[in-house]
Amino acid sequence: MNILLKHIEYPGSTELKGYCESGGYKALSKALDMKPADIVNEVRRSGLRGRGGAGFPTGMKWTIASMDPKKPKYIICNADEGEPGTFKDRPILEKNPHLLIEGMAVSAYAIQAEYGYIYLRGEYPQAKEIVEKAIKDAYSAGYLGDNILGKGFKFHLFVYFGAGAYICGEETAMIESLEGKRGQPRIKPPFPVNEGFLAKPTVINNVETFANIPHIVEIGADAYLKIGSPESPGPKLFSVSGSVNKPGVYELPMGTTLREIIYGHCGGIKNGKELKAVIPGGVSTPIMTADKIDCPMDFVSLPRYGSMLGSGGIIVFDETADLLKVCLRIMEFFDHESCGKCTPCREGVGWLVAVLRRMSTGSGNPGDIELLTEISKNILGKCFCALGDGAAMVVQGFLNNFRSEMEAGIGGQQ
Amino acid sequence: MKGPLENGTLKSVPECGEKETALMPALYTAQKEHGWMSIEAMEAVAGALDIPKARVKGFATFYDMFGKKPVGRHVVRLCTNVSCILSGSEELLLRLRDKFGIAPDETTPDGRFSLVAMECIGACGTAPAMLVDNDFYEDLTTENIFSILEKYK
Amino acid sequence: MITVTINGKKIALNKPVTILEAARKADIYIPTLCNHPMLEPFGGCRLCLVEIEKMPKLQASCTQYVTDGMTVWTETEKVLEARRAMLEFLLINHPLDCPYCDKAGECDLQDSTMQCGPAIGRFKEGKRKLPECYDDPIIVTNMERCILCSRCVRMCSDVQGAHAITITNRGSKSCVEPFSGGRFDCEYCGNCITVCPVGSLMSRLHKHTYRPWYIEKEIETVCSFCGVGCSFVAQIRGDSIVRVEPRPDLGLNKGLLCVKGRFGFDYTASPSRLKSPLLQKNGDLKQTTWAEALSHTAGKLKEIKEKYGPAAIGAVASGLCTNEDNYTLQRFMRSVVGSNNIDSTTGFFYGPAQRFLEDIFGQGVTLNPMQGIANSDGVFVIGADPSAVAPVLGLQVRAASRKGIPVVTVGHMPGLKRFATCSLVPDAFSEPALLNRLISGLMKKRPVCGENEFFEGAIKKFMLSTGDDIADPCGLSNNDIERAVNELDLMTNPAVLIGRQVVQRSDASVLLLQLSVLTYLLNGRIYLISELPNDQGLVDMGCRPDMLPGGRPVFSDSMRKRYEDSYGSEIPSAQGMSLMEMIQAAHEGNLKALYVMGENLLPDLPDTGYVKEALSKLELLVVQDTLMNETAELAHVVLPACSWPEAEGSYTNFEGRMQHVRKAVHGEAMEGWKIISEVAKIIGSDFGFLTVVDILAELTKVSPIHKGITYAEMDGGKCLWPYNGEPLRDSAKDFALPDITLLKRAKDCGRPYLFADQQLFHSGTIGRNSSALSMLMPASYVKVGNALSEKKSIQAGDVAGIASGIKSAELDVIIDPDLKGMMVLIPNILADKGVMSFMKWNMNPDFKNPALDGNEIEISKLRSKAEEVSA
Ligand SMILES: Cc1cc2nc3c(=O)[nH]c(=O)nc-3n(C[C@H](O)[C@H](O)[C@H](O)COP(=O)(O)O)c2cc1C
Ligand code: SF4
Ligand code: FES
Repeated sequence: MNILLKHIEYPGSTELKGYCESGGYKALSKALDMKPADIVNEVRRSGLRGRGGAGFPTGMKWTIASMDPKKPKYIICNADEGEPGTFKDRPILEKNPHLLIEGMAVSAYAIQAEYGYIYLRGEYPQAKEIVEKAIKDAYSAGYLGDNILGKGFKFHLFVYFGAGAYICGEETAMIESLEGKRGQPRIKPPFPVNEGFLAKPTVINNVETFANIPHIVEIGADAYLKIGSPESPGPKLFSVSGSVNKPGVYELPMGTTLREIIYGHCGGIKNGKELKAVIPGGVSTPIMTADKIDCPMDFVSLPRYGSMLGSGGIIVFDETADLLKVCLRIMEFFDHESCGKCTPCREGVGWLVAVLRRMSTGSGNPGDIELLTEISKNILGKCFCALGDGAAMVVQGFLNNFRSEMEAGIGGQQ
Repeated sequence: MKGPLENGTLKSVPECGEKETALMPALYTAQKEHGWMSIEAMEAVAGALDIPKARVKGFATFYDMFGKKPVGRHVVRLCTNVSCILSGSEELLLRLRDKFGIAPDETTPDGRFSLVAMECIGACGTAPAMLVDNDFYEDLTTENIFSILEKYK
Repeated sequence: MITVTINGKKIALNKPVTILEAARKADIYIPTLCNHPMLEPFGGCRLCLVEIEKMPKLQASCTQYVTDGMTVWTETEKVLEARRAMLEFLLINHPLDCPYCDKAGECDLQDSTMQCGPAIGRFKEGKRKLPECYDDPIIVTNMERCILCSRCVRMCSDVQGAHAITITNRGSKSCVEPFSGGRFDCEYCGNCITVCPVGSLMSRLHKHTYRPWYIEKEIETVCSFCGVGCSFVAQIRGDSIVRVEPRPDLGLNKGLLCVKGRFGFDYTASPSRLKSPLLQKNGDLKQTTWAEALSHTAGKLKEIKEKYGPAAIGAVASGLCTNEDNYTLQRFMRSVVGSNNIDSTTGFFYGPAQRFLEDIFGQGVTLNPMQGIANSDGVFVIGADPSAVAPVLGLQVRAASRKGIPVVTVGHMPGLKRFATCSLVPDAFSEPALLNRLISGLMKKRPVCGENEFFEGAIKKFMLSTGDDIADPCGLSNNDIERAVNELDLMTNPAVLIGRQVVQRSDASVLLLQLSVLTYLLNGRIYLISELPNDQGLVDMGCRPDMLPGGRPVFSDSMRKRYEDSYGSEIPSAQGMSLMEMIQAAHEGNLKALYVMGENLLPDLPDTGYVKEALSKLELLVVQDTLMNETAELAHVVLPACSWPEAEGSYTNFEGRMQHVRKAVHGEAMEGWKIISEVAKIIGSDFGFLTVVDILAELTKVSPIHKGITYAEMDGGKCLWPYNGEPLRDSAKDFALPDITLLKRAKDCGRPYLFADQQLFHSGTIGRNSSALSMLMPASYVKVGNALSEKKSIQAGDVAGIASGIKSAELDVIIDPDLKGMMVLIPNILADKGVMSFMKWNMNPDFKNPALDGNEIEISKLRSKAEEVSA
């Protein structure tokens, strides 16, 4: 499959020239001849769901934002890709920045936004240079600016460079951060589509989501719907890491099974080892046992298998992996990244870490498994945002699926 | 601390759309000029943008990339998240400790390197990976990591 | 109409509120920590989770709004479990040092844990350790106890607007800190302490001195520092106030206080407190009995009246004293002495400004409810920085600004710097030129419509005669002025705040007329920034040389008759002497006796040397006060009066709201009104005042506006002007146009000139006697701007010599980069180096108040502080 990454094959597509030669900016030109509402409608019909993790229908988000009379409107690209195991947005940012710019320009036109920001994670300094240069080139070529392609549409785009806070990937925390505040999530409602950046209607989409837009505009919703699975149409970027022979980013139709990805595209498990477990969508999705790999990778199938599609960041563990340690490491991540606003996440996740830490050295106390279960139950569903809830769910995933391995952390039974 | 921030003013405040979005880039500029986020650096930013000082501090300390103490000439940010651990980044951390005598959040006595154990830096497919200042290095091994660091004096 | 059902109870609501509010209305308890009635919902602590039918997850009741038909349960097993869980989480890192913690007994965490917490904690690891911090003189921080509800930070930034504290770091490493990490260096409002639910932010002044259950009495009363008149509860143990506590549902301050109100009350326990009467014998003040002191006073007054006539006697009333004290002094002067020589420092600004504006717009025009400022659609401030001199009033302006309402300020106003959408700092003394430009700019956008023919006629005449012909009239660019005009033009019913500096100058009447015009064009409401707790009361009690109680002019025969009939004595029809006129008369030997009540004249009047000479020439100087002070040292008789918490009475704030000041502690001195009545009785006139109720009864009988007022009515908080009385309805049909030549810009001579620094941490003699306030501002200083600092090579930390021709002194230098040009500021902290001691003055012919403009001074660097240390 070659839609989101198609330009990348073409030599020099990082540059404006190469991008245009491989068919770039055609969609923008076409879009500017359409009515904004028609584009929104097309995106809605395409069934595109956000690629940032939550899978919210993009068309619906745009519809609400475009109906809000407040002005100006903003669009923000979520390029904060901070979810461990996820590196799918990086190739677009570093190798195909114009696709993102084009996608954003079309989206901006669709909802009539005048300003856009790319919130780029602070750990991607190279991407920053590349995207900034691409934006400059796009301005010079008239794809951005006060009168885009001479068709009277004004759109200005900036890169906002983050500084190492995973929570800023959460959309309201991102807006706070953009406004020069600590990146703590806001109360919803109001939702960003009505009161986002500077209290104005704001659409936030993931890099990959925007990257889908030019294609939808070019081929139309009907053709797009034929890609992927019925409830989750379209292509998806999967970033695969861990114990596979060929890790990397793969563009595949939604609904491709894990087995196909791991054993087909990624060439199987490294060193001929056995598969033990898979995290299917970044570390905030629950871990799955090896017997579940016939699960199709899409928004609706994974929950049936006890996990979630998340960002599509697949981490593969072979038989040698120490899952107790992995669980601890993931909880340390959440502890480190908790914004501190709400009690269960700030205090509860730290407690999980404390218990897992003693277990990981084999000196857990009897009852620690039950304690972990209790703590995670007490966190789950009570947090302000999805970060803390995710952490609890992940621990539960480990406890449910790899209980005996977790129990090994309980010290000499007193 | 000497440096362009000496006289308490920020040389340039980069333009980034609305005025609200100026704080983050201004802190980056200050950090570049000053090395880390000292009280003076934060005061300079607060003064340049006319933002209350405490707000600047609350903001700056929220984000990992702003140093809370002085750092060496080069900052080595080694990823220690799941995928990198699976590919041996803990071993690399030990080697760095043996060679340079620094644990995470420490700086070599000669001020050459500061070491930071990072959360995921988005290079899981080519793990283990690190950022040295603004340069990405992937597919690290216990062999190539030292030759890479050789380049940074 | 919205109906929600909580625990089976149906609750009808007019507008959507949060579930928490709905539950509280129905008396259903939901524990909370991060929520606070003075702050916006936050939703962080998660203690208030409730179950809502048809929602799978528990929801935070503090952030979730009710919808029609919603069914909520607050006591299900799931909810109780969640509460236990949240409290268990919060206690993980809490030190559980309740026996040592001052908050014990009034700690929200302790209380919630008692009610819904887990019986035991299961956390076995070490707790977070953070040492208690004593870097600040006033606020102790203990971050181990902090539960990160962020109430303090939200209070500091969203309500107070000081942005002094913040949460640093994130996640479990989060910590509340001021910028420096140690000293707060803030406005010290202490409102963060009010909202802290645990023992993390506490007042150092009360540290380990008592426990909440040691409090014996709680008395609701009103602050004694400024004209806002904040309410609070004074907590008493024995005969002292241990703490004052604002309450979100109390008074017009609704839970807010400023530094003076919260920490400054300890002046009442100052060692300078006067306890027994003093009589001057052979040049020294000696302790004496009440009987001797009173009969001496009465005898001397009688003798002087007989010898020189009533006009040789004067009295100074005080904005620190209650209505009852002031009324009684007025009554004494008018009925016993037979003179209108009664005034106070309120006559320097508040009194004449109000009189001038009332002459134009009618009585009561400046008496508007404070809440109206934050709820207006524009704010214009001139003449004083309200956030320094009447801080809780300043908060209203800040609140308006936070709502995005245009705020235009004129003059140096550090406290509103971040809140003004347009701040104009004209060259010194060129305000009339600036106002002229604003008025003509506005008139182009809003031609006068003929609604008030008389006033519009005046405007036209006025504008014609001044013209718009001065180029660069005030050191501001046309752009700045245009921007200000545009901002003003957005306003349809703005608040116009006027402060002291507009009136203590020779062109005061011009400025006030201009401000009236501006107010008329803007359709504004005027507020006078009152700096003393009873400025308005002084006016209403007739403590003005030209006014009888109830705001009636003394030259009105019918009014005078009303009072004469009631008092049974004759009142002169000519207006009496103003305060400065009395000083002059004393200096010239025409005033022989002065009765000074609650006013420290030496530091508060300009040209201290002259005032001292004048007072020394008196045959009788009576000082009735609560604290020993510079003026009392010169007195022949010193009469110790009850201080603010020791007596019953009332204050009238700048809104015209009469508020009950309650007796909170027992004092050794005598009530102010009683001292005066006793003197009167000896002279031969019995007012019949046994308690303040009798005074109020007389006032309500004679004063046409104060009809039927009782203390109970004041307690209801609704005792607002014009009470139940009859205000003067007819506004003046003509008023004298001020001398237009005054409009010509006083040329900036390029030499340093002196102004009073408006001090947040200080308020004259009483503030100086508060150890808490003195800690924050221990010494006087001189503030200069960048231009002057460069010109004179003076840096921060230097010691400068200041000389004004009548006074010279050495002061530490502070650089204020926002100070424009050659402006020099000195606060009025200490009598010997206070700004007033440097000030020369002229009598303003319109208002008979001191004009303080044009005080040029010399300033030079003497040495740097560093040299001083090494020497
Ligand atoms: C803790 C947290 C972290 C998130 N991080 C990211 C991220 O790194 N990148 C991203 O695109 N979305 C992230 N999201 C999801 C965003 O909140 C949001 O749903 C997304 O940007 C919407 O774009 P989409 O509809 O195109 O997916 C995160 C959400 C949470 C709760
Ligand atoms: S769950 Fe709570 S503490 Fe955690 S990141 Fe979200 S809001 Fe912050
Ligand atoms: S009171 Fe509702 S979350 Fe704290």
